[in-house]
Amino acid sequence: MFTEFLQNCIDGLMIGSGYSLLALGFTMVFGVMKRINLSYGPSIMLGAYFGTWLYLNLEQNAWLVLLGTIFGTVVVGIYVERLCFRAIKSDSTIASMVSSFVIWMQLEEIAMHLLPERTYPFPAFFAAKTIEFGPFYVRSEHLTMFILMLIIVLILHFFLYQTRQGLAIRALSDNPMASLYIGINRSKTLFLSFFLVSLLGGIAGFFILSTDSQITPFFGLWATFKGLIAMMLGGMGSLPGAIIGGLLLGIVEANVFWYGDPILRDISAYLLLFVMLVLRPGGIFGQSIVLRQRLAQERV
Amino acid sequence: MLKIQSISKHFGGVKALNELDLEVEEGEIYGVIGPNGSGKSTLVNVICGIFLPTEGDVIFEGQILSENPTHQRLKKGIARTFQNIRLFPNLTVWQNLWVARNSVEDIKTESSFYRWFGKSSIVKKEIEKMLEFSNLGNRADELASSLAFGEQRRLELARALATKPRLLLLDEPAAGMNKDEIRDLDGRIRSMQLQGITIILIEHVMELVMGVTDRIAVLNFGSKIAEGNPQEIQNNDAVQEAYLGYSEDD
Repeated sequence: MFTEFLQNCIDGLMIGSGYSLLALGFTMVFGVMKRINLSYGPSIMLGAYFGTWLYLNLEQNAWLVLLGTIFGTVVVGIYVERLCFRAIKSDSTIASMVSSFVIWMQLEEIAMHLLPERTYPFPAFFAAKTIEFGPFYVRSEHLTMFILMLIIVLILHFFLYQTRQGLAIRALSDNPMASLYIGINRSKTLFLSFFLVSLLGGIAGFFILSTDSQITPFFGLWATFKGLIAMMLGGMGSLPGAIIGGLLLGIVEANVFWYGDPILRDISAYLLLFVMLVLRPGGIFGQSIVLRQRLAQERV
Repeated sequence: MLKIQSISKHFGGVKALNELDLEVEEGEIYGVIGPNGSGKSTLVNVICGIFLPTEGDVIFEGQILSENPTHQRLKKGIARTFQNIRLFPNLTVWQNLWVARNSVEDIKTESSFYRWFGKSSIVKKEIEKMLEFSNLGNRADELASSLAFGEQRRLELARALATKPRLLLLDEPAAGMNKDEIRDLDGRIRSMQLQGITIILIEHVMELVMGVTDRIAVLNFGSKIAEGNPQEIQNNDAVQEAYLGYSEDD
C-alpha cells in the first residue's frame, strides 16, 4: 500500500518535472513583463511540428528533431514577442493577453497546414526502458526529463543571479522604472528574456513529447494549461514556485490516476488549483512575494 | 555643459514648460526652485528623455539630444535620482550598485569574462567605494527594501553615482529628511562637486538650496522668472512675490 503510494509519487515527480519546465517559461515571462503569454504552449507545439516535419522529410534523427524544435520555438517566440509583447504598450495587460490568445489560434492553424494529419510520431533519444530501484520502477525517458529539469534549473539560477544579463533581467522585473534610469535597455532585455524562455520551451517540449512519442495539435492547449496551473500553484513570477508547483501537480495527478479514475486525472488538476486559489491566492511561494512586494512598495 | 534651448512641453492645453532657456556650466551646482506645478519635474523628465519636448532642444556637451532614449542619455553621462525613491527592492544593496555600474560600461573594451559575469576587481573596488561614500558598508548584503528611509536615499544617490555621471539631476533629495540628514546631504553634494560632477538640484528645502548652490533659476508657470546666485535670488522682488513667502515662514 505504502509502496504503491511512493511509486505514484515517484511517477508524479517524473511527469511533474515536465510541468515544472513549462511553468518556468510562464513564470519568467510573467516576472519580467507582468503579463501572461497564453501562446507559449502553442509556440512550443509549432516548434515541435517543425522538428517533426524535418524528421519526416529530411532524416530520421532525434538530434535533428531536438535542434529543429528548439530553433522553431525560438523563431515562433520572437514572432510572438514582436507581434504581441513589443507592439503593445506595457500598461495594457489585457490587450496583450487577448492578442496572445489570437496568436495562439494563428499558430494552431499554421501547424495544421504544415502537417495536416492529427497525429505524428515523435522520436526519443533512447528506446524506452524501465529501470528498477529496489521495489520501485522508473521509466528511463522520465528519469532523463527529471535530471534535465534539475540541470536547467541550476543553469537558469546561475544565469539570473551571477551574470550581467541575468541581473539586468531581475532588475527590470523588480522595478521597471528604476531600471530605465540606470541605463538598462528595456527592449533588448525583454527580447533576451523571451529568447531564453523560448529556448527553454523548445528543450522542454522535445523531452515531454519524447515521453509521449507522438505529437498532436492539442499539445499547445495541453502545455499552456499544465504550465499555467503549475505556475499558479507555485506562485506567479516565482522560480522555485514553478518547480514545486509542477512537481506537486504531477504527484497529485499520479495518485488520482492510480487510486481514482483515469478520467479524474485532469479534473483533479483544476480542483487542486481551485483549492489553492481559495486558501492561498498567491500560490505556495507567491504569498510571501505578494506580501513582500506590498511592503516594498510601501517603503521604497 | 547643458543647454536648454527654448523648450516647451504641452500636455493637451496645459503648458508645463513655456519657452524655457537654461544654461548650466560645467562643475557648478545649479538649483532649480519654484512653487508646486511650476514645471520642475517636467524639466527633469525632458532632460532625461522620458518626455520629448513639444518644441526646442536639449543640448548636452554640444550634442543635441533630440530622440535619444533614457538609457542612451545615461551612457552619455546624465543620471538622476527620484523624489519618490525607486530602488530594486528585491536585490541586495550590493546588487543595486552592481547592476547600475554594469549597465553603462562600454563592454566592447572589456575582457570576455567581464562581459559575461560583470565582476572584476576594478568593479568590486568601485562598488566598495560607493558603499563607503553612502555609509552602507555594513549593510551590503541586505535587501534594499529592508533599509531605513534615510539609508534608501543614500543608496539611491550611490546608485546614480555608480553609473558614472557627469551631470546628476537630484529631484527633491531632501524630501522627508530631518536637519541632521540635510546637513549630511549638503556635504555629500559638495563632495560630488569636488569629484567633477555637475549637479542640478531641484528642491523645496530652502536651507539646502541657498547653502549649497552656485546659481539658482526660479520657475513659475513653466517659465524662468529669475536667475542668479542665492543672494540675488533672495532679494529678487519677482521671486519674493511668486515664491519666497513660503520660505520666509519656514
